[in-house]
Amino acid sequence: MDGQFCLVTNHLMLCLSGIFSFLFNLFISLFFVSLFCRLIVRSTFPFFIHKVPIAKGSAFWIPVIQVIASFNFLLAIVMAVNFLKYKKSHWWLSCYVWAVWLEGPLGFGLLMSCRIAQAFQLFYVFVKRRLPPIRSHMFLPLILLPWVAGAAVIHEKKPLNYRCHFGTYWTIPVVCLHSLYVAVLMGFTRAIRHIEFRFDELRDLWQGILGSASLIGVWVFAYILNEIHDDISWLQVASRFMLLVTASILVLVFFSISIAQPLLSQISLRKREPLELKTMGQVLGIPESGLLLQREQAVDIDPNEPLDKLLLNKRFRQSFMAFADSCLAGESVHFFDEVHELGKIPIDDPVRRIYMARHIINKYINAGAAMEVNISHRIRQEILATTDLTHPDLFTNALHELTQLMKMNLAKDYWSSIYFIKFKEEARMRSCEHEMEEMRGYDFSPRLSSVNATDDPFHQDHFSRGFTQHSHASYLR
Amino acid sequence: MLITVLENMGLLCSKNHRYTEADAEENAQAAEIDRRIEQERKAEKHIQKLLLLGAGESGKSTIFKQIKLLFQTGFDEDELKSYISVIHANIYQTIKILYDGSKEFAQNDADSSKYVLSSEIKVIGEKLSEIGSRLDYPRLNRELAQEIETLWKDSAIQETYARGNELQVPDCTHYFMENLQRLSDANYIPTKEDVLYARVRTTGVVEIQFSPMGENKKSGEVYRLFDVGGQRNERRKWIHLFEGVTAVIFCAAISEYDQTLFEDEQKNRMVETKELFDWVLKQPCFEKTSFMLFLNKFDIFENKVLKVPLNVCEWFKDYQPVSTGKQEIEHAYEFVKKKFEELYFQSTAPDRVDRVFKIYRTTALDQKLVKKTFKLVDESLRRRNLFEAGLL
Repeated sequence: MDGQFCLVTNHLMLCLSGIFSFLFNLFISLFFVSLFCRLIVRSTFPFFIHKVPIAKGSAFWIPVIQVIASFNFLLAIVMAVNFLKYKKSHWWLSCYVWAVWLEGPLGFGLLMSCRIAQAFQLFYVFVKRRLPPIRSHMFLPLILLPWVAGAAVIHEKKPLNYRCHFGTYWTIPVVCLHSLYVAVLMGFTRAIRHIEFRFDELRDLWQGILGSASLIGVWVFAYILNEIHDDISWLQVASRFMLLVTASILVLVFFSISIAQPLLSQISLRKREPLELKTMGQVLGIPESGLLLQREQAVDIDPNEPLDKLLLNKRFRQSFMAFADSCLAGESVHFFDEVHELGKIPIDDPVRRIYMARHIINKYINAGAAMEVNISHRIRQEILATTDLTHPDLFTNALHELTQLMKMNLAKDYWSSIYFIKFKEEARMRSCEHEMEEMRGYDFSPRLSSVNATDDPFHQDHFSRGFTQHSHASYLR
Repeated sequence: MLITVLENMGLLCSKNHRYTEADAEENAQAAEIDRRIEQERKAEKHIQKLLLLGAGESGKSTIFKQIKLLFQTGFDEDELKSYISVIHANIYQTIKILYDGSKEFAQNDADSSKYVLSSEIKVIGEKLSEIGSRLDYPRLNRELAQEIETLWKDSAIQETYARGNELQVPDCTHYFMENLQRLSDANYIPTKEDVLYARVRTTGVVEIQFSPMGENKKSGEVYRLFDVGGQRNERRKWIHLFEGVTAVIFCAAISEYDQTLFEDEQKNRMVETKELFDWVLKQPCFEKTSFMLFLNKFDIFENKVLKVPLNVCEWFKDYQPVSTGKQEIEHAYEFVKKKFEELYFQSTAPDRVDRVFKIYRTTALDQKLVKKTFKLVDESLRRRNLFEAGLL
């Protein structure tokens, strides 16, 4: 009876332990699946829900790469320290796949390299005040190279033991490489610490770095213990547990910190103020940006005055902008408008000037930009190769060239267009609040008659001031 | 007095007392507007839409101006006068480009001595270069014209001009520099030719309606011609015009085979034109659109091709000169034409082969030639229409 009971108990214990291990495995796998989903959702959700404009280029790809890298990193740890048991051995269970390639160049190395690439960009733009000399898509592979090389060497020399551990001799350079990248990231972040960022990039970055630095300490400690003492079983269990926990937290921390504004808008689900309905000038708090002030004096406009002087008048500028938009030539006026806003930022506020300058370059100057302006190669290169993004004359040459272009192309037609008549009428009516009259029939301008469709990229209601980034996106097509 | 003013203001500002009358009037107006819209819609049906496409500086706007001169009222005196500032701006900008270019060549070129300016020329050059970088150019007067002429005649500047293909020197340079005295006259009014030569980089879209037969509208088709900017940033706007196009007039400046783009000095203009033509041909909207290819700037081409071999351009690498003089020009032209023909048939899907494709040799500045070309274009488009209607 006792024996039977014993058997049953044993059986039960076995069953229980089986269930527990199954539950544990299930729990772990669920944890990772949910983590993965969360990362994916976090990175893609904003596009669908908040309709955040998808940034082109590195601003979009670097966060995506980070998602992949952190997933690789976690998966590599799980696989390398044998959290999952397989009955059969497969070729892809090799330590070199998980502990070397996926953990290094595709995991931690890639993650840190992405962060460094971002910090490097910020460093160049805000400390050196010029556009980064090397594009992110070139920089990233470059700083990833040591990781690839390291992985290749390890792959070649095969120093890992059957439990995927290095041993003391190999642990030192491996840990050094890991900490070197952390140090480089800290270095770049230190260099930009004194800059007061507009979108709280640095505060977020520091919080993240402080949080992650202590975790990295724990992680490195656990890693070393795990690598060196692979004969003490309790230490193995504890250190592996710590490795996984800290690494997971680390990855989460990485995703809650942001390093630049575009990343923030893409990764964060936090509702920021609706950026899309504002101009960059308004976001940066430039006085009297965007909205028209009713009290603004209606000045009499004399067509004989030079156009650049006339354009300084806000009401005139908006009327002219509406006209230029209607003949698909609005980007020059928009550029004039934004450079005018930039001029309002005092010289002693370099950070806001840099933001605005970078915004203008991204929107109007870069080849293929959303509202690229019609300027010569030389002037474009001059701006892109500038050594000082805060320079007050950064856009002067481009502005001159575009003012000439507007003068020769648009000015003459504007004076005979409905927009100028409306403008004059409005100026007259503003004094006595008269109703606007329909004046379509007076349009003498030889400009477009048939393409004022809704898909007109410049079709924006300028009198009610709706300047959205979406309209530019549609204009891209 | 004050009272009358106040009364007047009251009259101006209040509309309320005539509400019923205004209502009736508004209804009548709305009906009138509807009627007109309907009328216009019917009229629109008969209007043929023509697009002028091509890379930057290929002569689209010159053709456009010619159409205005040939089939419309042309330019009145005010319009002609409005070109004075453009022409003067062209002169100042060009002389600045040449002066800055000569300085650059003198610094960097192996054979730099050719480009070194004497000190007195330098003084004039600096002054003119400063004017050229201003936002507002002064009106050209005798004194300034004299200085510009001195600079222009200088051998270093002439050497620089000879390498103008590297500097974005506009085609009108020689013409304007040779006419400086006339252009600087206080009572100067631009001639038709001056207006045609004047270089304005187009931005956005401009349209014009015309009938090649002139006043007698019944005998000819009515066309609406759209002119666009040709630089890369301008091309994204084209797509808004692509619907319902009868014919695309594609301008290709065949003289620009040794020049680079205004907006990208790494790219050869001819190669860009090739890629652009290919892109336009493949547009889904143009399945049934006729293509009129204007191989433009033949006047510059015939002068250039004897000095600069055609094969400096990557696209024409396989060109072999055969003879000299007029024969050589013809041979080179035929080669270029063949290249474009090949490109057309390569880029045209088999289901589109029945669209009209014609190549014309043009010089947009030559009024007679443009007139003749347009007659031909008109004829082939009308024939096409008859064919479509099943009458041919």
